[in-house]
Amino acid sequence: MVRGAGRGGRGIPGRGGMGRPPFSRPRVLMLRPPFDLILAEPAFPRCKPAPDDAALTQALLKRHAELCPTPTEQSAVLSIVTKLQTVLDNLVVAPGDFAACQLEEVRQVGSYKKGTMMAGKNVADIVVIMKTLPTKEAVEGLSNKVNEELNKLMRAEGLGNVSSTCHERGFTVTAATAAVRVLVTTLHQNLRKLEPEVHLDYKVISSHLAAIRHSRWFEENAHHSSIKVLIRLLRDMCARHSGLEPLTPWMIDLLAHHCIMNNPARQALPINVAFRRSLSLLAGGLFLPGCAGLPDPCEAAHSRAHTALDLAAQDHAAATAQTLLRVVARGGHRYVLGLQAFEGGKDISTEITVWDGVVVSPLAPAYHDSPEPMDTEDKDDDGIQDGVAA
Amino acid sequence: MMAANNYFGFTHGGTQYGAATASAAYGGQTGYAVAPAATAATYGTQRAAATGYDTAYQAAAATQGNLHAAHAHAHAAAAAASAYDASKSAYYQQAAAAYPTAAPPQPQPAYDTTAKPAYSTPATYAQGGARGSGGAKPAYGSVYTATTAAASYPSQPYTAPAAQPAKPLYNAASMYVAQQKTGGGGSGWKNYNKSGVGATPQRRPKPQPKAQQLHYCDVCRISCAGPQTYKEHLEGQKHKKKEAAVKVAAAGGAAGARACGASALRCELCDVTCTGADAYAAHVRGIKHQKVVKLHTMLGKPIPSTEPTKLTPAKKTVAGAPKVSFVASGGLSTVGASSSVPRPADKEDEKVEEEDEPEVQPVGQDYIEEIRGDDGKALSFNCKLCDCKFNDPNAKEMHMKGRRHRLQYKKKVQPDLEVKVKPSMHQRKLAEAKAQRMLVRDELWARRRMHEAGEDDERAYWEGADWWRGPHHHHHHQGMGMGYGPVGRRPETSDDRHVLAKHAEIYPPEQQLQEIQRAVSHTEKALKSLSDALADHARPKNQAGKAVIKTEDKKDDKPEGKEDGRDNQLFSFVGEGEAAPASGDGAGAGGAGGAPVGGPGVRALKGVMRVGLLAKGLLLRGDRDVRLVVLCHDRPTVTLLKRVANDLPHHLNKVKGPNEDAKYKVELQPAEGAVQVSDGTVNVVVSLTSAVMREPAEGGDIKRDDKDVLPRQKCLDALAALRHAKWFQARAASLQSCVIIIRIMRDLCRRIPNWTPLNPYAMELLVSGVMQSASGALSPGEALRRVMEALAGGLILEHGPGLRDPCEKELVDALGNMPAQKREDLTASAQQFLRQIAFRQINKVLDMEPLPKVKHASGGWKFPRKRRRSNTDADQDTHNGDGKVVKTEEKADVSEINSNAKK
Repeated sequence: MVRGAGRGGRGIPGRGGMGRPPFSRPRVLMLRPPFDLILAEPAFPRCKPAPDDAALTQALLKRHAELCPTPTEQSAVLSIVTKLQTVLDNLVVAPGDFAACQLEEVRQVGSYKKGTMMAGKNVADIVVIMKTLPTKEAVEGLSNKVNEELNKLMRAEGLGNVSSTCHERGFTVTAATAAVRVLVTTLHQNLRKLEPEVHLDYKVISSHLAAIRHSRWFEENAHHSSIKVLIRLLRDMCARHSGLEPLTPWMIDLLAHHCIMNNPARQALPINVAFRRSLSLLAGGLFLPGCAGLPDPCEAAHSRAHTALDLAAQDHAAATAQTLLRVVARGGHRYVLGLQAFEGGKDISTEITVWDGVVVSPLAPAYHDSPEPMDTEDKDDDGIQDGVAA
Repeated sequence: MMAANNYFGFTHGGTQYGAATASAAYGGQTGYAVAPAATAATYGTQRAAATGYDTAYQAAAATQGNLHAAHAHAHAAAAAASAYDASKSAYYQQAAAAYPTAAPPQPQPAYDTTAKPAYSTPATYAQGGARGSGGAKPAYGSVYTATTAAASYPSQPYTAPAAQPAKPLYNAASMYVAQQKTGGGGSGWKNYNKSGVGATPQRRPKPQPKAQQLHYCDVCRISCAGPQTYKEHLEGQKHKKKEAAVKVAAAGGAAGARACGASALRCELCDVTCTGADAYAAHVRGIKHQKVVKLHTMLGKPIPSTEPTKLTPAKKTVAGAPKVSFVASGGLSTVGASSSVPRPADKEDEKVEEEDEPEVQPVGQDYIEEIRGDDGKALSFNCKLCDCKFNDPNAKEMHMKGRRHRLQYKKKVQPDLEVKVKPSMHQRKLAEAKAQRMLVRDELWARRRMHEAGEDDERAYWEGADWWRGPHHHHHHQGMGMGYGPVGRRPETSDDRHVLAKHAEIYPPEQQLQEIQRAVSHTEKALKSLSDALADHARPKNQAGKAVIKTEDKKDDKPEGKEDGRDNQLFSFVGEGEAAPASGDGAGAGGAGGAPVGGPGVRALKGVMRVGLLAKGLLLRGDRDVRLVVLCHDRPTVTLLKRVANDLPHHLNKVKGPNEDAKYKVELQPAEGAVQVSDGTVNVVVSLTSAVMREPAEGGDIKRDDKDVLPRQKCLDALAALRHAKWFQARAASLQSCVIIIRIMRDLCRRIPNWTPLNPYAMELLVSGVMQSASGALSPGEALRRVMEALAGGLILEHGPGLRDPCEKELVDALGNMPAQKREDLTASAQQFLRQIAFRQINKVLDMEPLPKVKHASGGWKFPRKRRRSNTDADQDTHNGDGKVVKTEEKADVSEINSNAKK
């Protein structure tokens, strides 16, 4: 009460501070989105005939067909996921004498849930939210319990045994042809109670929570099949070029969604256009410091998807994409997509290649880990601080 | 100080008090001190009769004499409620009247008149305040209402504070403050004492009489051995703290604060909170409690029941009816019914809680390792959660049920496990500290907002809307309406600074600009003069009559058209006389303002316009070559060109000022379709062209001497240059940062071989397109980065859209002729540059030394933080004081509080 009187007396609300929202920070750097040709269409009207992209489109579709899991694979994964889900659901509903931990919820996440599984990678992801804190013992107990129950089910159906192994993210249940990673996390309010030596790592735990948000966002926003096609292609491309490897599936999801859907017409773009666009955006510095990048819809405001990469990785990824862009421009998409290996096993993203007499050379890294860091932090920090402040 | 305190006591309640009546009333007080001698005697009797609380009243009464005392006591004892209403009105009328009249010298009479009716309860004062029957009234009202509200707390019932009449009203007021304190918290105690001491030294004995028996401190509930110790105690820190705590509690926080410890038991007598029944029993048995009991017995004070008071929030319900409780307690002078009787419900609660205790399930069996000896027998147990060992299985069992283990289990395994929490002061303090922090933060934001407004103003002042204009303030030379427009208030980044520094470096020096300006101006004048000459030469054959008019027109035009055209560099289209018509073609559209008078015999040279770098304002340091384009009426021929070349020197000398020493050399370049005027440093290339050239060459006039006509392509180029200049001025120049970036890019193209193939016009198109596609204005650094992004993203690669030339009717790619390898190299270079910019190596892109970092002068929020802190400290203290009400008996952990306050 004393305070109130004292404060009122000083007349703080005056002086025009009211015009702006209270939390605006005057020194925030507004980061800009990169140049995006699709969005800049009006400024650069096409003045020469559109390139014949039939070859590229064919190549993309062909590659995608290769990347799609076969029906057998799909059913194998489906079978084990369904059983595991049953087992875990039972544990949620009726834990019985199972006391190692209490489960709150079980959710499917990841590429299986999103429908972007790749051929040959029959690993589904399930996040288990514990009501109790995820100690290593609890994870082990859960793993054993699940293993036991699942084997019962499998035996009942006359299928082979499963085995379960613990790791730092939870445990993996492996059957003959497919596997399920059970990712352990805990309730949101428990996050700050985690201790590094007793529990699973905080980052792992929160990334699992994020995975739930990601699959929800995906379900709601990115169900268009063009997006899924592009995601498979990009994930495959990233996996085969070392510079792009650090890109997380989530970044790729966002990128693919952006490339397909974010255009003036809000209609899904053709796959060839979107593929070129994704390369072009990466090359144009979408994931470089100082760029607005792609806002992460599942995190607090102002957080950018690519800040999870360290600076060297950002540089390397951009450089690789830049080289690949030029290779694709020279008609080398078959090699970029991995439809065929380059002659002599050359890595097209790191070695000089010649296309119809045009020399395409890779680029040197721009980021140097100098002792006196190159001020890039403050650019990054601004982004991060924004997130924190908001 | 004490007098001031006294004042404070009043003004606290109602500031408007003073003006109207202060003098009179205060006078009353001084008069009041006249009869100190009586005090000792009367005190004794009063003591005996009364409960000993209302010392002030008695003091007051004493000064008035026994009569008043008798009145007071009669009143207090009987609580003559029947008289109230009657006296109320009487009193107020009188009091209002009496105040001014109650002059210092005559306290007694004044008092007498008012005395009787004034014996009303404080509630009537409050009413009086509401009635507002006098200037002083509202103030009194506020004082009294405050006190009545506070008086509803008393744990020690108070005898009716028989309000003293007009003169001692001040005293009464201070007394009420004192009551506040005794009743459950109030600041007045000290004030009261001090005022007693300070206002009149003679009144000092006032506490003494009390001390004759016992020096009892009501706040701390202790007695002191003598007056000296009592005084010391009153000035001591402990007492002050308690006093403050009590005050806070009285101010309303009490109920909430006390209610915190849900299961706490409270000894009303000692004002001690115990955490459990055992502790309470121990306290009751303890010597301290016994002492207090003894003391209170001696004093004849009521001794509350030994039943513990269960602390619950319900306690504050008492506050609802202040008047009633006041009167009642005053009249009966018995135990405050509301506060000291424990509620049955509380007891039940307690029982329920106690029953809970034994049902603790051992938890966390999994986390206890058995350490087995060689024989497989369990030797010891290790609890991983609590990191402790036991040898005994029983100890293990105990441990698993124990609070510590359960807490650990709750913390590490199962957050929703119920662990009986000790009512811990610590937690409460944490919560308080948190609330405090929130408050402080809110305030911080408020301050920031305020500060921000100030800072913005300041920044606007210093940086203004044109913070980056500095390096090229002389820009007007180029005559381009640069149109930077209002620049958003964005902080200047390091990239911006680098770009601007580079820009300042490549910007042409003043002298160079002047030289170019002069040469161009002379050439233009000479061309006009030449055109006139040609026209005059042609005219006699055609219409002599018209010539007169035309020359007159010409003269009219001269001041505006020519001189203006030269100095106002917006359009350097120097209208050649009256008939400087924009030919029908798009090139000339929007040209000179002169209406197309053109008749059959129009002059051969229609106009001249600056094109290229000069017109676009893109000259860089070291640029020497500028271009002018002369529009001819008909197809320019070699003959015409030759004639121009021959005649121009003459006209140049004519237009050149007599004292200008520039030597112009005119050179014929038939292959270029141009003449070059050179003064040694500046080369002005004058191209001849005509709009007619755009018409299909193989069309109608083919019969004309094709040999004689200047090369068609050159003429078309010159026309295109005209259009480009106009496009640039219309579209590109107005874009934010565009011109700066084009200059930077020109420099880049000059420096770097990979970039050389990018022709200037294409580059301009590219940059302006990139700027245009940005959603808002870009700062120079951002603009350069965006250009690099566009190129790095493959804009000019084969599959890109191409650069549409807006100056052509057909779809023309301004970059159409660029070979693939060049595109590739340019893109690769831009990609590298982009990453360098992203990683703060823009200096490498610009080929310059990195600029030192700017020290951000306004790094933090500059406001008097220190003072702020001390303010919050003060608040913090009172807040922690809250806690201490409950914690009375515990050793006040001063250091902890301080550390809390620091947070």
